[in-house]
Amino acid sequence: MIQIEDLHKNFGSLEVIKGVDLHVKTGEVVCIIGPSGSGKSTVLRCINRLEEPTSGRIIVDGHDIMDKATNINTVRAEAGMVFQQFNLFPHMTVLENVALGPRKVRSMAKKESRTSALSLLKKVGLVDKANAYPEQLSGGQKQRVAIARALALQPKVILFDEPTSALDPELVGEVLEVMKQLAREGMTMVVVTHEMGFAREVADRVIFIDQGKIQEQGPPDQFFTNPKNDRLKEFLGMVISHL
Amino acid sequence: MAFQFEPAVVIETIPMLMRGLKLTLQITVGGIFFGFLLGSGVGLLKISRNFFIRKLAGIYIESIRGTPMLVQAMFLYYGLPMAIGIRISPITAGIIIIAVNSGAYIAEIVRGAVQSINPGQMEAGRSIGLTHTQTMLYIIWPQALKRMIPPLGNQFIISLKDTSLLMVIGVGELMRTGQEITAVNFRAFEVYMAVALVYLVMTISISRAMIFFENRLNTNKG
Repeated sequence: MIQIEDLHKNFGSLEVIKGVDLHVKTGEVVCIIGPSGSGKSTVLRCINRLEEPTSGRIIVDGHDIMDKATNINTVRAEAGMVFQQFNLFPHMTVLENVALGPRKVRSMAKKESRTSALSLLKKVGLVDKANAYPEQLSGGQKQRVAIARALALQPKVILFDEPTSALDPELVGEVLEVMKQLAREGMTMVVVTHEMGFAREVADRVIFIDQGKIQEQGPPDQFFTNPKNDRLKEFLGMVISHL
Repeated sequence: MAFQFEPAVVIETIPMLMRGLKLTLQITVGGIFFGFLLGSGVGLLKISRNFFIRKLAGIYIESIRGTPMLVQAMFLYYGLPMAIGIRISPITAGIIIIAVNSGAYIAEIVRGAVQSINPGQMEAGRSIGLTHTQTMLYIIWPQALKRMIPPLGNQFIISLKDTSLLMVIGVGELMRTGQEITAVNFRAFEVYMAVALVYLVMTISISRAMIFFENRLNTNKG
């Protein structure tokens, strides 16, 4: 589904990503962890070219996103994204937030887009908030709407950029629950997260990025119980002693 | 003979000003309408990814903001016809001057409002597959428009008052009408007081209307 080969990204003279290779299979749930500033969000944002890669190759669902002939908007509709800060459209109702993409990108009729938006809101448990505005929702509710908005385009993969990092602790669970449900349904997911419990329970593979490189990866059992990389051991030690 | 204020003259003058008021309103509304279109366009060009387009927009804004409107009016109405041989009516000239002048200020208002929208909004729009233009149209612009209202109200008031300068190119607007009346009755104090009152009523109306729009947008969210 996603093939990243030798990805490099510089911000000015600062090299943030120093050669990352990553293949994500259809239906796979990959969690990316790592200290802040390690470049893990940047890798994610390169996948739908919200960040322009400096060099390397990224293939998403058969489309080379670095190729000028590729319509990036088509690729983006296939690779939904959920942001740390939700980024809901504040001037639209919850329903309009979800229905906008299908209407404008997939040219779906208004009525049809509303019906499908409602069924997605039902799925994330927010059908009663369809006519509310984002500012009337809690953080957890906003993030669930954002997930519904991404799902509305029926993407082949969803990219989650620290989806629970901006939430109050008591609201994290409801968002993770929706994500777990998606994983069970077979959605391909790449999740940048600090939620080790989620990674351990849901991920097929966990990846540790530090200093712009993948330092270690593997299935969660092995990854968490028997880490080999020293920096990963240190990182897990800090995260777990913190819990 | 000592000066004696005659309130009755103020009252009598107001109906006589109505012809000028009509012109003032026509020029203000026309000027602001085209000024808003022009300003919106230039404001968006000012944040274009193309360096030369940005520069071009910048030159327009700087040269208009950096010169007095009175000079611009004289230049357009008396200067330009000598150079290119086209005569335009004072009213058309007035609308053009207000539009071009307010356009420069509105461009900066538009630029500021658009840039004040969280970049996450553009990313979210692009992430669901909308094009840059679609995201601008459906996501950024409606939010920016709301933030523009207070400074736009300000600019509308300034433009309305600026129409008084158009008397120098022979537009028979409110101020000039007042001047013509004083030329007949020599009651400058009362006449200009009446003129001032009429301007005041209009500018207060504009600021009230702006507050109304802002509240309406607030209750409708967005």
